[in-house]
Formats: sequence, structure tokens, C-alpha cells
Amino acid sequence: MNDDAFDCIIVGGGIAGLSAAMTCARKGLKFLLVERGSFNGAKNVSGGVLWGTRLNDLVPNYWEDDAGYERFVAHRRLTFLDGQSAFSVDFKSAHFHERPYTGLIVLRARFDAWLASKVEEAIAESPWPEDSLLAPDTLVTDLVVENGVVVGIKVGEEEFRARAVILAEGVNNLLTRKAGLQTGYVAADHMATGVKEVIKFKPGVVEERFQLAEGTGLTNEFVGFASGGVEGGGFLYTNRDSLSIGLVLNMKSMRENLGADKKIYDVLSDFKTHPAVRDMIAGGEVIEYSAHVVSTGDMRVMPKELYADGLLLAGECANLLLNSGKAIQGMDYAMESGILAAETVAQAKEAGDFSRNTLKLYREKLEASYVMKDLRRFQGAVKFLHNEAMFTKVPAVVNEFGRSFFTVTNEPTEKVPTLLRRAVDKHASLWEMIKIGIQGGRAL
Amino acid sequence: MSRTKISERLGLVRYRNQGRHDAKPHITVDTAICDSGCPHQCTTYVCPANCYTLNEEGKLRFQFEDCIECGTCLYACDQGAVTWNYPDPETGRGVEWTFG
Ligand SMILES: Cc1cc2nc3c(=O)[nH]c(=O)nc-3n(C[C@H](O)[C@H](O)[C@H](O)COP(=O)(O)OP(=O)(O)OC[C@H]3O[C@@H](n4cnc5c(N)ncnc54)[C@H](O)[C@@H]3O)c2cc1C
Ligand code: SF4
Ligand code: SF4
Repeated sequence: MNDDAFDCIIVGGGIAGLSAAMTCARKGLKFLLVERGSFNGAKNVSGGVLWGTRLNDLVPNYWEDDAGYERFVAHRRLTFLDGQSAFSVDFKSAHFHERPYTGLIVLRARFDAWLASKVEEAIAESPWPEDSLLAPDTLVTDLVVENGVVVGIKVGEEEFRARAVILAEGVNNLLTRKAGLQTGYVAADHMATGVKEVIKFKPGVVEERFQLAEGTGLTNEFVGFASGGVEGGGFLYTNRDSLSIGLVLNMKSMRENLGADKKIYDVLSDFKTHPAVRDMIAGGEVIEYSAHVVSTGDMRVMPKELYADGLLLAGECANLLLNSGKAIQGMDYAMESGILAAETVAQAKEAGDFSRNTLKLYREKLEASYVMKDLRRFQGAVKFLHNEAMFTKVPAVVNEFGRSFFTVTNEPTEKVPTLLRRAVDKHASLWEMIKIGIQGGRAL
Repeated sequence: MSRTKISERLGLVRYRNQGRHDAKPHITVDTAICDSGCPHQCTTYVCPANCYTLNEEGKLRFQFEDCIECGTCLYACDQGAVTWNYPDPETGRGVEWTFG
């Protein structure tokens, strides 16, 4: 192989790609990261919370920098909605203030751009300050494959060569499909669409309204009324001076439950009219509307393998995402897998072997990490969330109970077991609720 | 409360090559399939940018200019009518998020 070849070319500068790039720079690899957006983050949408602490390994003490995140998570809430009421499980803790933080609320156009600036710094300190590059505004159109081995990428007519290519192209994984690692058509049943708005407030309003001390943030997930009868749920996250509010809706369920009189974005409009939600967003100005596909975490749609000769898949293009109901974990999985993929390339360079014999180490590392362990462990939760009762009957029962429990009248008051029994009887059968309870307990 | 119009929402989106009238489409739809055998025509209500619409005669029309590259129609269409690509940064359209 000629010597202007890169050790590694990374396709896609989202979280997986940037994490891989940072690792390449630290490991002394000569690499090229290609991103189709005019800057890193220009094309990316999330809710979103970056869970876990791995960012601190990529950018130690990132909080001392003017880091690209909005707030750290210190307050969490899960809310069940029916048409009129909201019943929440709410958790706030000083433990969340310990560094490194375990959850960061981010806006991707800012966060990815910030992370890219950190990668640039790492390149400057690496053995290849002039040769390793982040190339924005560039669309990779194909892979270069010789004798079954991936040896580079194509950008239109131009070719760039590398000893290994890491695909980090995100969920809409056209090149992963071209490489033959995933069948062309991924069933809509295992895919969802996220729709979102960013709502801006005057400085100080977000802190005051949500009782947020300096730098702290709230995450609020919603089930029930939020998704308008479609499988899925809602979210609301506090940014510095704005809120991110949105829905994640299963595609097959949308196909069956929406129509000309209720389109996907109407569900978002309706969600915002719920009395509890309306009060949270009152007085704000919508400054961006966005949408993006998100996978559901069903392992049945994962590519058949995560590596080939000269090729590795990282992040959501490999369907590495878990939606267990309590959180969506796509960004932390992207970060972890991006790092592990780049570490594997560094090992391959040391061994002088970029064939699948060495690259299979990536699969082993990923299997040993929390990513594959959790993905396997929580497949039950992914299927559990498919259960229609979870976004229809369960929120109804919970709110029926809440209404009778929290309402104080001048009539004799029933005790809790009776109230619960009545709430269940009104919307479902006891047996059904017990079954769901047991399944849910097992799933989590 | 009335629902926000999609045109109002898309008014907040920043597109690339907005002034360009000869932008190259990145998605093409074989509308003969939509108009003959599609049992649900779901792209007309699951596309978050309302790029798929039915005209007065009930025929499907697709326009790529408003597309926000979300990818939904790549999966939602199970009839094989959609050919989906990323827009070319130079000659295509496509989105540029401010917040994301
Ligand atoms: C509404 C919504 C809410 C979400 N909420 C959360 C959340 O709260 N927490 C969480 O962890 N996850 C969340 N996710 C999921 C999360 O956003 C993704 O899992 C994550 O972004 C995946 O990272 P990635 O790096 O693999 O891919 P991406 O972030 O999608 O990055 C892929 C990159 O590759 C580029 N690219 C693609 N093809 C090419 C090409 N051919 N040439 C050049 N560049 C290319 C793209 O432009 C993009 O920059 C959410 C997703 C959505 C849509
Ligand atoms: S789902 Fe496919 S075939 Fe049906 S209307 Fe939409 S694009 Fe056409
Ligand atoms: S990619 Fe998304 S926005 Fe674009 S046409 Fe398809 S569904 Fe609509």
C-alpha cells in the first residue's frame, strides 16, 4: 500500500465518528474524517441526553472548558399522561452533582461542533498535525473494495485510500448496506421517527420555572396521551435558555394509527396542548423544528456482522441503540463503539494486519462492554414497549388512580387498594395489569 | 388550541442552496406505484416535512425541496417506490440545523 494512504478513514462526523477520530489522534494514527454537513453537527438531531461518563475520557475535565453541552442532568421525571392529568415519578438528587456528570443535555449542532474542535486540538498534538484531517462538506458516495477488502472511499470520482475504514454514518446507513452487511430494507416495525421543537425563553426563565440551580437540568419522559395513540413517547429536556420537546414514534404504529386528519407533526401539536405540558412551555418561542429517524434497539435488525476485511461499523449505523423506556441510549453507545473501533484499528496497525482476523477484536471488545451486555439484557424491555397497553391503558389506569387518590372531597374516602381496583376496572382487567406488571418487572 | 401549520414549522428550517432553483433531487419516488397499488400511502402522513401529498385527483406528488433528510420514508415505504440518497453538498438541497 502506498504511503499517502491513511491508517484510517472515518465516514461520518457524528458522535461515533468524532469519538473514533479523537481515539485515532491519541493513538498516533494518520486519519481522515469525512462529514457531509458543512460543519460537524449540521445534519444531526437527538433529544437529547448523552448518558454515562465516557466523555471525560475523551476530553478530561470537559466541564472546565466552555463545553458544548447545555446542562447536566440533576433531576429526572417520568410522567404518565391521560387527556387531562399527569402522574409523575420524580427523582432529584445531589449525587447527580458529582463529577464527572452521568448525563449531559446536548443540542447536536453545538455539541458535535465543540467535540470536533477538541479533535482538532488532539490532531495538532498528534504525530500527524498536517496529515490527519477533518473534512466537512464532503459526501462519501461509495467504498473502494479490492478483492473483497475495503481499501478506501469514493467521493464522486475521487478516491481516498486507507488501511481501514470505520463507517459511523448513523442510522440511515446507506454504505453499510452497500457493503452487504445489512439487508437493503429494514422493517418499519423496528424503526421510529423523532420529531422535535426547540423553544426559546428569556434568560432566567428556564432556571426559575424548573427550579434549576446553576448548570443543572431536568429530563422528563412522557407516556400515554403524548404519543396520540401511537407506540412511542414524549420527552422534554432543559437547555441553557430553551427547551427541547418532542416525540419518538414507531413507524409501523404511525402507519396504522395516523392519517390525513392527523399527521406526524399534529401529534406534536396535540402533545403541547396537554395542560401539564402547556404550563411548562408557556410564553416560549419555537425557534427550530426538526426530525430524524431513530432505531428502537431491537437486535433483530442489527447488521449481520460489525466488521469485514478493512471495515468496521460504529454507532447507530450498526443499530447500536437501546430504548429501554427510561432512557434512549444512542449517543453513549456511539461514543463507546467509536472508541473501541479506533482502538482496534490501532491494534491492527501494530499487528500489521487489517483483515477480519484482527478486526474481529472489535466485536470481542464490544461484547465485553456494557453496550452489548445491556443490549442483550434489555431486549425484553424493547419488546415490552411494543405492548399497546403501555401507551394506552397503563397511563389511563395510573391517572385514574391519581385522580381519586389526590382529590379530597366531603365524601367518605376509600383506601388505596379499593381505589386501585376501581382504576383498573375502569380501563382494563386486573389480570391484564398484573401481567403487564410482571412483564415490566422482568424486562427491567 | 389549533395545530401549528407545517409551513410555519418549516419556515424555521435552514436549507442549503436555498436560492438555487436547479438543485438536484436526492430522493426520487416512482409515483406509478403510489397511485396504483399502495394500500396505505402512509408517506403522506408520516413524512415530517409533508413532502408527499395527494393532489385534487388523488394522485401522489413528491417534492424534495422541503425534505429535512430525516430518513422516515426510507423505511416507511414498504412498496419499493422510494429511491433515497443523501443530497450532494454542492448541487443538492438538504438541511442545516442550528440546534439539532
Ligand atoms: C428525536 C431523537 C431523540 C434522541 N434522543 C436521544 C437521547 O436522549 N440520548 C441518546 O443517547 N440518543 C438519543 N437519540 C439517538 C442518537 O441521536 C443517535 O443514536 C446518535 O446520534 C447516533 O450517533 P452516530 O454518531 O452513530 O450517528 P449520527 O449522529 O447520526 O452521525 C452520523 C454522521 O454521519 C454523517 N454521514 C452519513 N453518511 C455520510 C456519508 N456518506 N458521507 C459523509 N458523512 C456522512 C452524517 O451527516 C452525520 O453527521 C435520539 C434520536 C432522535 C432522532
Ligand atoms: S408508502 Fe411508498 S408507495 Fe405508498 S404512497 Fe408512500 S411512497 Fe408511494
Ligand atoms: S427523508 Fe424525511 S423529510 Fe425527507 S422526504 Fe423522506 S420522510 Fe420526508
